[in-house]
Amino acid sequence: MKASTNRDFVRQSNVSFSQPRGLRSFWQIIHIDPILLAGLLALCGFGLFVLNSATGGDPETIFRQAGTMGIGLVVMCAVAQFDSQFYRRWTPTAYVLALFILGLVLVIGAEKNGAKSWLDLPGLPSFQPSELLKFIVPMLLAWYLASRPLPPNLKHVFWAGVFTLMPAALIVLQNDMGTALMVTMSGIFVVLLAGLRWRVVFAGIFAAVIASPVWYLFLAQPHQKNRILTFFDPYRDPTGAGYNIIQSQIAIGSGGIYGKGYGNGAQSHLDFIPESNTDFILAVLAEEFGLIGVLVLIALYLFVIIRGASIALAASDMFGRLLAGSITLTFFLYLFVNMSMVSGLLPVIGLPLPLISRGGTAVVTLFIGFGLLMSIQTHRVTQPVR
Amino acid sequence: MEGRWQLKDREAERRLFARRMLVASIVVAFLFAALLVKLINLQVTQYDYFAARADGNRLHSQYVPPARGLIYDRSGELLADNQPIFNLSVVRERVDDIEATFELLSSLIRLAPEDVEQFRERLKRRRVPFSSVPLRYVLTEEEKARVSVNAHRLPGISIEPQFVRSYPTGELNAHAIGYVSEINREELDAFAEDARENYGGTNHIGKTGIERTYEALLHGEVGYEVVEKNNRGQVMRRLERTDPIAGKNLTLFLENRLQRVATEALGEHRGAVVAIDPATGGILAMVSKPGFDPNLFVTGISNADYSQLITDTVNTPLFDRTVNPYPPASTVKPFIGLGGLQHGFTDTDTVIQDPGYFRLPGVRYRWGDYTLRTAIGGGHGETNLQRAIFQSCDTFFYDLGYRMGIDTIHSFLSQFGFGQNFALDVGYARTGVLPSREWKQATRNEPWYPGDTINSSIGQGYMWATPLQLATATAIVANKGIVVKPRMLAAIDGEPFQPQDPNPAGNVQIDNPEHWRYIEESMTMVVHRPYSQVFRDYGTAYEAIARADRDMSYKMAGKSGSAQVVSIAQDILQSEDIDVSDLNKDHALFVAYAPAQHPTIEPQIAVAVFVENGQHGSSVAGPVAKAVIDSYLLDILEIDFTALATDPDALLSEGSDRARQADENSPSVVALNAEHEGHRHD
Repeated sequence: MKASTNRDFVRQSNVSFSQPRGLRSFWQIIHIDPILLAGLLALCGFGLFVLNSATGGDPETIFRQAGTMGIGLVVMCAVAQFDSQFYRRWTPTAYVLALFILGLVLVIGAEKNGAKSWLDLPGLPSFQPSELLKFIVPMLLAWYLASRPLPPNLKHVFWAGVFTLMPAALIVLQNDMGTALMVTMSGIFVVLLAGLRWRVVFAGIFAAVIASPVWYLFLAQPHQKNRILTFFDPYRDPTGAGYNIIQSQIAIGSGGIYGKGYGNGAQSHLDFIPESNTDFILAVLAEEFGLIGVLVLIALYLFVIIRGASIALAASDMFGRLLAGSITLTFFLYLFVNMSMVSGLLPVIGLPLPLISRGGTAVVTLFIGFGLLMSIQTHRVTQPVR
Repeated sequence: MEGRWQLKDREAERRLFARRMLVASIVVAFLFAALLVKLINLQVTQYDYFAARADGNRLHSQYVPPARGLIYDRSGELLADNQPIFNLSVVRERVDDIEATFELLSSLIRLAPEDVEQFRERLKRRRVPFSSVPLRYVLTEEEKARVSVNAHRLPGISIEPQFVRSYPTGELNAHAIGYVSEINREELDAFAEDARENYGGTNHIGKTGIERTYEALLHGEVGYEVVEKNNRGQVMRRLERTDPIAGKNLTLFLENRLQRVATEALGEHRGAVVAIDPATGGILAMVSKPGFDPNLFVTGISNADYSQLITDTVNTPLFDRTVNPYPPASTVKPFIGLGGLQHGFTDTDTVIQDPGYFRLPGVRYRWGDYTLRTAIGGGHGETNLQRAIFQSCDTFFYDLGYRMGIDTIHSFLSQFGFGQNFALDVGYARTGVLPSREWKQATRNEPWYPGDTINSSIGQGYMWATPLQLATATAIVANKGIVVKPRMLAAIDGEPFQPQDPNPAGNVQIDNPEHWRYIEESMTMVVHRPYSQVFRDYGTAYEAIARADRDMSYKMAGKSGSAQVVSIAQDILQSEDIDVSDLNKDHALFVAYAPAQHPTIEPQIAVAVFVENGQHGSSVAGPVAKAVIDSYLLDILEIDFTALATDPDALLSEGSDRARQADENSPSVVALNAEHEGHRHD
């Protein structure tokens, strides 16, 4: 195939344009980005701190969450040890393998919380293969587009769409809309960063605006419609569909500027906030630490995002740029969607607050993404010259 | 520009990427700003609103119902108690699917459709939102356990302890004490706003008897507490509390022992017994038979039980016979006689010839002598007032009453409480009828006929009186004219209670005190005048009372009566071959007081007995009165008449002193006591 020749050419040319640095620092030797690591550790610490209150000081949950974070950090470090060329090389294989596993899940997957997205293999902890797609899809698109002239032409955009929607469709079949949406968005971010022409972007937005009423009227499921209606008027069913958002708004609002103090969040401790350990943990934080606490959290997030963006901008090749940019934006999207839904800015979508909410697989997935960022950052000057 | 082998312009692509990152940063900044605006709106602008909402979520101000006052009899026996029960309560606002909850509950515990129906009724009442409404009363231990185990499937359902009324004496005091039952919407609506507030935590209210009369004293004052509740409505902690003030404990004049004796003495008969302490007017006994179990009403009587109570038209267990009027019949004769003496229509020497009937001048109709209708004809012969009383001669009173006229009869008898409710705290007692010209004109739009007077003079016709009125009037005779008004409540929280009398009545003034003695002597003869050689010269109640108890240690003044139930022509009644069905039998009445004609002891008790369809006043009602008086004088007051007879200085036993202690402050009682003292030290 001619594409492969093209790819080889591009790969080699990337190397010749990288900017070598003088000394390899300690951090570059161990392939860890200290700035990103500091931000993540701060977030994890803050997350455990809030979770401790949200769970009412349940040490078991806290230790388990800390353990998960520890595993995540180890995985992140491991991921960071391989350079981006390694990932680039293995991306198509990983993608095909991932599609195969997604198909497998549909056949032998286990169902939890309504989504048949879990794989229980003997000898392995049960996990959600769909999580892997959150970074495999942007990797594949970055791999695909980086070797093509940018901005991408329509044919490439079309294929990028196909590569994105195939796994997304399989995840939809697993009845896990939230993950499918995030996987799709991570793909879209790559295409947008790759320079998708504005007229296409606006046409897409316009089409979405036109399509959304059609979706609402003919395709949306009752519970989805209900969420939309509840978003516009939570009080249409204050003890049912609107209960969560009403209670979380009460919790956030009653926190005020300074909060009620650590462990004093009546809304969460008297169980008025549903899912106070997971999706709605922001309400606990906002109630106990007030606006200031939320600002601290946003600042920590911003710190990580800015670091991610700077890694993307400084990346030595387009694969690294696109991947780092997409991972960073996806991370932002996560936290933004969660914070917006809990505060009533968006309809309720079941997404956790990254690094704060209790959760297993999702935390590890996040750290894999950060590992990729570190890999992109720390292997710039040590790329092997062939 | 399109070409398969397009060369990549890396620098241009890098700049393109950088521009896109810039756009992304702007979008991110914009979205963060939007989020921040939203958070500031929630946490700063609307802080007050949400802070209040948060408090409203967790803080619940709830009522703490006061403990209802207890009710004791005069001897300190508990008549109304509070017992803890466990109720299943529902906070409607917290239950999503009430029907599914009912279904689940009925699989766990006994939940009759009736319970659900009553629950729906309760829901319709005024209530505070998020307050709990009882669904089932009195859960068993097993039911409690089953509900607790399934608590997670039953949001909004809780088990609440509650103190409810319990009547340890059951049927015995059902009418006098009454009962509490669930408060209904009408009763709540009738309250003023602050009273309704006071009942915020109360489910029950007194419906009849003492429970109703003294509801205000028994209820107490509601307390309040602010509690913190979690999402499932469980109370996590108490933040503030204003304790409720318990209701007052009431001590009645009622003697439970006397109630029991009266009930047993009535036997299988329907009827009523009222006993009054002539010194105070305190009601010592107030029994209406048959009774009912007041405990049934407390936690909601079942339809089956209730319909059983109300469909029994013969026994009418819910009907309080002590306060409902019947023809008093011959029991009014002593009062008419006293009125005749006072107003000069007869004197102690006047003798009439009784042919067995009375005839108005110029009228053919004969008023027969009821007391003789089964006798061998003929009259009582030569009869004076005394004989007319102890032999219960109708003819004498036809004549006397006719000559006195209804106006005199009305004004004289009304001094004894006939036609009015003298009772100070038995507001629900009926007044009966003491007929007068005005009364007949007003109620029947007919003039008064002389024949009406004749019927009235033997307590028939239009004259109606309640057993309570008869006991009161008898007590006034026992007091020789000092009017006492009957009352139930003796003490509040141990402090003697002096009721306010809004319409004080003057004492009965008899110009010649000898006439009191004469009437007492005549009434004593009713009970004690034995058989002699002279035909029909014994007291009507001699055989049933004094002869039945030859060792009777005190004297009793009494008067029997047999009230016609329906107007059956005399000649039919007189023929023996007509089978008068039970329900048409005469009502038997007996009034009495004792001790009578005692040198040192004033009368201690006045009794009225009414036996529905009892037929013979002296033989059926008389022994009931005897049993009650015996029990009171000999067992409760423990007066040893035999010892007093041999040693006139012997003091009353301790029992009687205790009996009077509670009432020594009453002015009228003080006067009486002074009289008692005087007698004692003569």
